[in-house]
Amino acid sequence: MTNDNSAPLPRLGINWIGLYTIIRREYSRVMRVPIQAFLAPWISALLFIFVFGYVVGGRISTIGGHRYIEFVLPGILMMSVVNAAFLQSTSQIYFQRFLRYIEETLVAPLSYVEMIIGSLAMTVFRSIVTAVGILAIGAAFGATSMSGILEFLFWVTSVSIIFGLLGIIVGLWANNFEQLTMLNVFFIAPLTFVGGVFNTVQMLPEWLRWIAWGNPFFYFINGLRHSMIGFNEAPEPLGALLTLAMVAILGVVVWRLFERGYGLRE
Amino acid sequence: MTPAVSISHLEKVYRSGTKAVNDLSLTIQEGDFFGFLGPNGAGKSTTIHCITGIAKPTSGKIEIFGVDAVKDYREARRLIGLSPQEFNVDTFATVSQIIDWMGGYFGLRAAERKERVDMLIEKFDLVPHAKKQFRELSGGLKRRVVLARALVHDPRLLILDEPTAGVDVELRRDLWRYLLELNAEGKTILLTSHYLEEVERLCRTIGIISGGKITKQGTKAEFIGSAGGLENAYLMATGAEPDHIAAAGA
Repeated sequence: MTNDNSAPLPRLGINWIGLYTIIRREYSRVMRVPIQAFLAPWISALLFIFVFGYVVGGRISTIGGHRYIEFVLPGILMMSVVNAAFLQSTSQIYFQRFLRYIEETLVAPLSYVEMIIGSLAMTVFRSIVTAVGILAIGAAFGATSMSGILEFLFWVTSVSIIFGLLGIIVGLWANNFEQLTMLNVFFIAPLTFVGGVFNTVQMLPEWLRWIAWGNPFFYFINGLRHSMIGFNEAPEPLGALLTLAMVAILGVVVWRLFERGYGLRE
Repeated sequence: MTPAVSISHLEKVYRSGTKAVNDLSLTIQEGDFFGFLGPNGAGKSTTIHCITGIAKPTSGKIEIFGVDAVKDYREARRLIGLSPQEFNVDTFATVSQIIDWMGGYFGLRAAERKERVDMLIEKFDLVPHAKKQFRELSGGLKRRVVLARALVHDPRLLILDEPTAGVDVELRRDLWRYLLELNAEGKTILLTSHYLEEVERLCRTIGIISGGKITKQGTKAEFIGSAGGLENAYLMATGAEPDHIAAAGA
């Protein structure tokens, strides 16, 4: 049953099969909880669209020539993408550590980059599925439009990578479930809500506008909104550059943490 | 001949400041069946974690068949199969998924993986349990799964950290027979165990670790031939109380 033990193994290049296996494993894990992973964010988005977009929005005049429901849909979609990416990433790494099956990948011939990409691939997949579902819900309300599909994909993918990377950092750092939710409660949720999901910067009191300009979520939501309805409040290259810079910086931070074995080899 | 495992001056200090392994040097020849003995907390599992990549050595050098386990970690890891002391498994995954995924991490193609998984499931009498989740299995069945997982990529070096802990007599005998078969086929095996009769029965070379250092190493014949046999030598090497040593020698 054994191979020729003395034969030298061929040099290992990129471990594509290993990378694909990480994705297969995570897909299997996510599909064990489809209600939590997909149905819950869709229902949550449906309620936001119905209450804020349809009921409240019906009494609000147009914004930049767009109905309010069309205006809020990209914000709700981005909020759901951020949550999906962050939850997928934190739960993935944390449960691997908690149940110790992270050791399966640590003892395997996988590079740190392969481990990180494998993890992010599933994060992006879950975010895109969440986004597609919300587009369909929006379409049922006649609120979905698309002015640039590539731009839309850029924003959904890059933002889910950012929150996937942040989720890895939190998942490596957290030692209990409470720590796992801290970033979401104190940072992600508040900044999303003040990042222009429901309002334009112009609607804010002048003294509060700096919150929007200094808030990365504003650029994410603004970029996605531009890709869907063409409405834009900020110079778009600025938002795209900021997003790409965040991907690069967080990518290096996560790679360094893996290389040091932080939260993994301790 | 290049040794299967060559460790020189290994040191592992955890972030808490605990020095788990202290200047440990050890050589295991290719084809050997090596028994790694020591009391709880002596540094056996930490040494194994450093060899396999679960822990990062603080200093020292580890080579697996001449491949540096830190610098060329991917190449080194391809040569090792590990059955850990504690179950490090996605407990909601099925038996066949657990073994298949491990084959995938090691880069086995789908057809080869299927062949290996089916063979190991049969070999370890896991056929009726293949579609069951790991958490539904008994302790003995769980142990078989992690052993099968360790063998899926047909490693040259098999590391077994207390593989028979909590296993019934029948499975233990089956496992012993199987391990001897694997060793006869050329696999190098590193075994840790608290059962001295198991080590006596299986191993050709024995190393005893205490306080993070190798305190005695030799052939099984040397240990058994010494006064009081392996048990006495073990107690002496681990600094046990004199009355325990006297009782063992009596």
